[in-house]
Amino acid sequence: MDVLKATGGTYAWFGEPPSEKQRRKIGTLLETPNFYHYLSGERNLRIAAAIKGRGMGDIPRVLEMVKLAERKDSKFSTYSLGMKQRLAIASCMLGNPEVLVFDEPTNGLDPVGIAETRETIRHLAREGKTIVLASHLLDEVEKVCTHVAILQRGQLLMAGDVREVLVNEDIVELGVPGGLEDRLREALTGWPGVTQVRPNEGLMQVFFEKGETPDTGKLNRYCFEKGIVLTHLQLRKRSLESKFMEITKETNQ
Amino acid sequence: MLNLLRIEWMKIKNYRTFWILLGIVVLAIPGVNYAVYSIVRTVTSGGKGPGGPGSAGGPIVNPFSFPDGWHTICYTSSMLFIMQAILIITLTTNEFTFKTHRQNIIDGWSRNAFIGVKLVEVILLSILSTLVVFLTILGFGFSSSHGGVQVSVWQGSRFLFFYFVQVISYSMIAFVIAVLIKRSGLAIGLFLIYMVVEQVVMGIVTNIFKVSAGQYLPEESTDRLIPFPGIHLMSQAEWEHRIPSYLVAAGIYLIIYYVVTTRYFLKSDL
Repeated sequence: MDVLKATGGTYAWFGEPPSEKQRRKIGTLLETPNFYHYLSGERNLRIAAAIKGRGMGDIPRVLEMVKLAERKDSKFSTYSLGMKQRLAIASCMLGNPEVLVFDEPTNGLDPVGIAETRETIRHLAREGKTIVLASHLLDEVEKVCTHVAILQRGQLLMAGDVREVLVNEDIVELGVPGGLEDRLREALTGWPGVTQVRPNEGLMQVFFEKGETPDTGKLNRYCFEKGIVLTHLQLRKRSLESKFMEITKETNQ
Repeated sequence: MLNLLRIEWMKIKNYRTFWILLGIVVLAIPGVNYAVYSIVRTVTSGGKGPGGPGSAGGPIVNPFSFPDGWHTICYTSSMLFIMQAILIITLTTNEFTFKTHRQNIIDGWSRNAFIGVKLVEVILLSILSTLVVFLTILGFGFSSSHGGVQVSVWQGSRFLFFYFVQVISYSMIAFVIAVLIKRSGLAIGLFLIYMVVEQVVMGIVTNIFKVSAGQYLPEESTDRLIPFPGIHLMSQAEWEHRIPSYLVAAGIYLIIYYVVTTRYFLKSDL
């Protein structure tokens, strides 16, 4: 976007070297919305439209889309954080570009603002827009994106379908009376989808294949039928953050 | 460029601070000159004001009539550069404060376009200020020449050109500071401090090192194009002789200001 001077590397937009002409065809929101505080929302959009070389006719549509039509004449400085963000998204949508770039679009927003922004992004995605979203919030990536690429120090660590890269792996923690650990381990090897059973702080942690959600009721009954009475059974969600740490660590090693 | 200027106009036409500062710049030029004119009239009148019938050829020459008005009014108006500097600093640093310089680039301006239109804005404001000075000179000149203008109206008009060189130099110094410092209050403070510092440096260079290089400092070289009317630090002939060197110095500084601002803006992270 010609905001930072790159120390190395190349990139292209629409198969062409980056230029101001390319930027006019892309709707971009980098972190915070940047507008003239003393001007109204609509006047700010007029400036953005003029720079992008778009007509003013699209302004009512984008204001309506982000639900700011009623406040279009209010000064930008009087907007809430969520409204400012929505105005920035409206500015991105001027001229109905096919590609949108959002960098940390929910940064600094309250929960309502976050929900509004995510819903707007999902709405745009449903319209068929290509949205490039940069975020450190893995939960956000999982909720909003279809595909993900993980970059670290300029290196691409992993890329693919978000359900494959950031899949939630469930872990079941089981407790058994002392001396029964080996029997439990042996019994669980026959359970479908189990990849690993390992002791952890007095409990046995059971890992499953990616995307496999274990039925704890069935598991309990299965153990009982094998003559093992469980003293502890808990389904744990493995956090996306720990998954991310695992990916970045694996690559560093 | 016209399209870029149209967008700049969209940015400022509804900005109240811009109109207040511009109003001060435009009104202060005739206003301050009128105040000085009134003082001069009071001091020199003795019941008969300068410019009154018979005074043109008398011992008291009205410094606001033709041809001296060009010099007097340009000098008096040059005291008001600070107002124009504040206006330029405000308009420029606003972009950095609101980060709209980033947004303009992201939305599709090139860095060259952004800094280029800002430079044109500085030139246009300098032209406007010069135009107001010109009208003020004509106003005072014709109104105080009751017996008809005895000399050519344009005699002394080179001072208006010197005024333009001076106002654009001061405006560019303000612009350079605004681009480098980015914060409005700090930039205005630094501009004011620089005005004092340069005088101190010139004093040291002239009095302690006994060299005349101080007269070629950025502000001093243009200040000397319009010396204090009536009292000359050097002979008229010597001043005439040095005018080209002051103009060359001003030109070199203007090129330096242009190179510094454009290179800095083109190379830095936004």
